[in-house]
Amino acid sequence: MSPLSWYQLVAALLLGIGLYGVVSRKTLIGMLIGVELMLNGAGLSMVAAAQLTPMDGVLGQLGTLFVMGLAAAEATLVLAIVLVVARRMGNARSDTVSELKG
Amino acid sequence: MNMELFARLAFGIYAVVILAGGALAVSSPSLIRAMVGLVTALFGVAGMYLLMDATLVAFMQILIYVGAVSVLIFFAIMLAHASPDGDEAAPASIWEYVRSGLVFVVPVGVVALTATVFPVDSMPLPKQIGPEALGEGLLGPYTLAFELISVVLLAAMAGAVLVAFERRKPR
Repeated sequence: MSPLSWYQLVAALLLGIGLYGVVSRKTLIGMLIGVELMLNGAGLSMVAAAQLTPMDGVLGQLGTLFVMGLAAAEATLVLAIVLVVARRMGNARSDTVSELKG
Repeated sequence: MNMELFARLAFGIYAVVILAGGALAVSSPSLIRAMVGLVTALFGVAGMYLLMDATLVAFMQILIYVGAVSVLIFFAIMLAHASPDGDEAAPASIWEYVRSGLVFVVPVGVVALTATVFPVDSMPLPKQIGPEALGEGLLGPYTLAFELISVVLLAAMAGAVLVAFERRKPR
């Protein structure tokens, strides 16, 4: 296997671990941690593909920087949503939010 | 040759750090310990960026993710009244473990199978791209994306303030 394949394998493992976290966690913050792991896997895969193949390296690195900016924006919004949910319902579990009436 | 061995060794160490941190991040019953695992995995990814000669991305990873995003998540844990003995301590049923395991196995299996069946040959050494080339890219062909991400960040910050704003109750 070439070095690129090894990097892609680690990125895929990060994606899988993040998906596992999103599905198995019961709190909103635990799910957010899983999403951050998935975004890191995507960034690692993009930089590996840009740096180890003849494609434009600037494009891959800038794409990863943009993913980091989007992750920061997403974490801010999730912080606000968690704050509102915790204030109204007492805790930030995903099953309390999914109840329609209660 | 010696340097190549060293690089392989560093890759292995970073991979172990990433996988151990990720496993702690998704399995620990305490959210604070899960965050420590996430920070460990983020440092491992930064090390892999350094190994691929993407220096600026590696330092941005530490600055933005470890410095800003994880502090934000710590604030979220603090403001959501996390219980000290762990929010995730409730036992899960067998079906939930099967579901989560399936979600882990299927994408990883597809990518691993693709990487082994259709091997892609890569360059022996990563490209050398300095920060000045990235800056020229930001101000040259990718100006629109650069400006749009600032608009997205502004909208996200304003939206967060609007959502979390506590209206004063009329007396």
